[in-house]
Amino acid sequence: MNIILLIVIPLLVAFLSILVKKYQMMLLIFVALFNVIILFFLKQGMIFVGGYEDELTHNLLGITLFLDVYAVIALWVINGLILVIALLNIKSYQTYGTILLLAMAGLNGLVLANDLFNLFVFIEISGIAAYLITTSNKKPVSTFKYLLYGSIGSSLFLFGIVILYAMFGTLNIVIMIREIEALNDYRQLILPFLMMFIGLGVEAKLLPFNHWVKGVLGTSNSLSGPMIASVYMAATTFVFGRLITNLFQFEGSLLLVVTILLTVGILVGDLMAFSSTKVREILLFSSIAQSSIIVLLFVNGLVIWAVYLIIANALSKTVMFLVINHSVQKTNDDEVESLKGLFSHNLLVGTTFTIATLSLMGLPLFIGFIIKLNYLTMFAQQNQFIVMIVILLASLIEGIYLVRLLIKLWYPGDQKVEVKYHLAFKVVCVVIALSLLVFGTYSNPLNKLDHNIDEISEVVIHG
Amino acid sequence: MASIELLILGLVVSSLIAYVLTRFKQVIGSIFTIFAVMFVFVSVAAFGFNMGLDTTVHYLPGISFSQSYLGFYFAIIIIFIYLMVSFFHPHFMDKYTYKNTYNMLFLLSLAGVIGAFYTDHFLNLFLFFELIIWTTMFLIPQGKSREAAVTYFGFSLAGSVSLLLGILLAFEQTGTLIINESLSTLSGSTGTFVFVLFLIAAFAKLGAFPLHLWLPIAHGHAPHPFSPVLSGALVKLGAFIGILALVKIFPTTQVFETVGLPVGHYVVALIGGLSIVFGTLMAIKADDAKELLAYSSMSHGGYILVAFSLFNSIAFAGGLYHILAHALASAGAFMAIAAVARVTHTTKISEMGGMIHKMPITYLAYLIAIISMAGIPPMGGFISKWLIFQAVIDQGLIFVGIAVFFGSVGSFLYVFRPLAALFLGQEFREYKDVKEAPLLILIPTAIIMGLNIYTGIFPKVFFDVINKIILELGFGGITYTTFTISGNNGTLNPGLISLVFVVGIVIAFIIFILLKKSRKVGLMDTYTAGNFVHDEHLFHYSTDFYAPLERLYEKQSHYMTKFYKALAEKVKELGTFLKYVFMSNSLSVVILLIMSIIIFVLWGEVL
Repeated sequence: MNIILLIVIPLLVAFLSILVKKYQMMLLIFVALFNVIILFFLKQGMIFVGGYEDELTHNLLGITLFLDVYAVIALWVINGLILVIALLNIKSYQTYGTILLLAMAGLNGLVLANDLFNLFVFIEISGIAAYLITTSNKKPVSTFKYLLYGSIGSSLFLFGIVILYAMFGTLNIVIMIREIEALNDYRQLILPFLMMFIGLGVEAKLLPFNHWVKGVLGTSNSLSGPMIASVYMAATTFVFGRLITNLFQFEGSLLLVVTILLTVGILVGDLMAFSSTKVREILLFSSIAQSSIIVLLFVNGLVIWAVYLIIANALSKTVMFLVINHSVQKTNDDEVESLKGLFSHNLLVGTTFTIATLSLMGLPLFIGFIIKLNYLTMFAQQNQFIVMIVILLASLIEGIYLVRLLIKLWYPGDQKVEVKYHLAFKVVCVVIALSLLVFGTYSNPLNKLDHNIDEISEVVIHG
Repeated sequence: MASIELLILGLVVSSLIAYVLTRFKQVIGSIFTIFAVMFVFVSVAAFGFNMGLDTTVHYLPGISFSQSYLGFYFAIIIIFIYLMVSFFHPHFMDKYTYKNTYNMLFLLSLAGVIGAFYTDHFLNLFLFFELIIWTTMFLIPQGKSREAAVTYFGFSLAGSVSLLLGILLAFEQTGTLIINESLSTLSGSTGTFVFVLFLIAAFAKLGAFPLHLWLPIAHGHAPHPFSPVLSGALVKLGAFIGILALVKIFPTTQVFETVGLPVGHYVVALIGGLSIVFGTLMAIKADDAKELLAYSSMSHGGYILVAFSLFNSIAFAGGLYHILAHALASAGAFMAIAAVARVTHTTKISEMGGMIHKMPITYLAYLIAIISMAGIPPMGGFISKWLIFQAVIDQGLIFVGIAVFFGSVGSFLYVFRPLAALFLGQEFREYKDVKEAPLLILIPTAIIMGLNIYTGIFPKVFFDVINKIILELGFGGITYTTFTISGNNGTLNPGLISLVFVVGIVIAFIIFILLKKSRKVGLMDTYTAGNFVHDEHLFHYSTDFYAPLERLYEKQSHYMTKFYKALAEKVKELGTFLKYVFMSNSLSVVILLIMSIIIFVLWGEVL
């Protein structure tokens, strides 16, 4: 079976689903299931679709896709989470099936693309789907702002690609990496790399470019919240990781600027969350800090721990956004004070939320702890003191506001909060919480994957 | 052969069983908890004394254990306190909001305790530390206040973050994460950094000045049976980290010639002295009995810090013995208060009185605990303070000496206040039908009472272990026999002192028998300043007992609270400001930011 099916089938079904409006969500679920299952049987490697040889440079232009362990992990996370989110919203957001299928096609393509221009196309496809998903918030202004920021981001990304193409005459990532190695002068590459970094940074919620986040996630619902905060974030950080590890060369002042942007992002994100009193704002600001940490790990070459962090984060954030958004839809108020005692009658959901939060904070028995300890040890080996201090300081702030949130949600205040969660909801939360717990206590399988899960570099070397 | 790994795994499993059982029936779950803790205590006590525990690891990946007398000493004290406190659970369970999780988290935190003291690997130490912190953090809000848990967690997390940074710095220089190897090879400025960071962690856990603020808040508001664990057991984690920093890191700071101590150690001794003074002054002021005891824990933490910064065997012996004596005394006092609060539903000194008529055994337990706490013979606290005094005087530390003696005198002033208020004095009408605590509560109270006396009379058993610890730390042992302990300036004979006390008590008792019986009068049968008393509450003589003294530092006493409140406020304001900067700007500002970043980078590299 061909890996292109992962993109083509959702795209095809997306168009077909317009004809059968009622069964959109059903179709989506089938496709997501199909994708999750087909991933077991796909052969890893690179494929070319269509394309032609450029007569001048003899480089192959066209669609190239590349599947390795890294991409398989990313695809599982993305498709699995979309499946879960679709299952939970099957009744409340029936008409969003087509859009989610489009999003799935875009995100799968994003992860698989091995051609910079393809990557741009998929950024645009997934971006359009994202704007449409956020329309479910019923806040057109913030959706419009998201659209504007997204376009600025992708234009910058495109601008970077244009420069690279002008320099090397190719868009294929593997070939370009070889060319860059042959060129061996990073100063010429600063401008395109920085532009691409900023372009992706907009989508990955990195600090000065993330103004849209507040409007979109601050008013999110049980569909858009987990979609944007966990699925989109996972996908963009995976792409970010791939480009940072293989293509971008961060050296000299470019490395300095990127590191400063990210460390400031970590601290500022947590500080903003500390001063927020709305649950959704707390969660969204903390995910700003988390995405900065993830990108920082990629920049420092800690690929495997960054991947685990993406997965752990996506799982935790899915549970947290689902639980909070579901209850906000019932209470119409996301002030922490008005959600006091939310869990006092929802013990199971409360426990899973607590586990997700504790894992996010990096406390022992949960997966977050193992990841945090490992990447901090690696930072210590690299003598990155300032980064270590910043991450630890941020985790102190993060710990305080998350615990404050947890305690408030557990202990009832003056008014009663009554929110009911249906069975499917509980099942999903329990499964995710159990996986956080199991891998947090039994971490041997995590150590089996090594740092070379990203196999592009091997392709670059061996052809 | 008991294996440490199996003990920990057993505790984790039994915490789950305890959850199920408590859900099924509270009493059964609580009794199961007692037995689980008892099993652990017996195993550690039976094999630990001779280092006979099995340290091999089969099931827990990445975790390694080793035994040391130091770890054993801490572990056995803390497990003992856990055991004693677990007897309280059946009678307190129905007060909690989330009853089912209480026993579970209690047992989980005990698993953390065992791991923390028996591991030889830094990251494991950190793991168990954090485990203890988050499990206990969920126990505290089951008491009176929700905010208390956040404060407790904030300070503890600050401590563990600082510990982790220290660990990573040490790892970066020495390349090993084995505790002893790493600490012994540290040198230069990294050594100083690690020393400072570890001490911050120690201060935060021990509740020493200036990181003491959580003590009164957490101890005062924790569930009644959990306060003894916090004060008697868990703050000792800080002492453990303090020992790692003060004794195991080779001092990298210059030696302060006049006192013969490295500057770092001298500063720690001074801060310890400050903790003693502040703790004492604040305890004198406190109106809540548990808050008062919490401040006293702060001042006793100061004693422990002073002892371990002095670098000699006598001081170490004093410090280690003080850990035991204070654990027993403060657990005893907190447990007595818990027994009282169970029936009175308050811990405010000004709202209670005359409980001695109803709860004589609890009264006796409290009396003996505070005698030990104040360092009066014949209780354990006397011996440890005597040793610390010896060491401080010998070293010629004037300021620390003043603080140490001030703390001792000050504790006379404060520990008797709850005694007079809760137990003696007028009996309040509200508590007419109150009865003595039930048997299950009296058993541990009596055991701790007995141990408080035993540690004051026959300290030899404990000094056997302490001497081994001191030898293990690389210092010369101290001289002691069955009945005497030798300091630098003389010999202490605890047995003889106790005998004198017994004789004194016997004589007093004879006089009491021989003299005329006192007449019992009703509460209203009194008058003052020519007026009859109509409202007994007004004349509670423990309220504002030290008002003139308190007035001296009334304004200053809120400085630290204000400081931390302001700090939290400032962080919040900073966050709000950043939100304004990054989240409220328009699109054009973002484009400007992007352009300026690009220009900045290009300026440096290409242009």
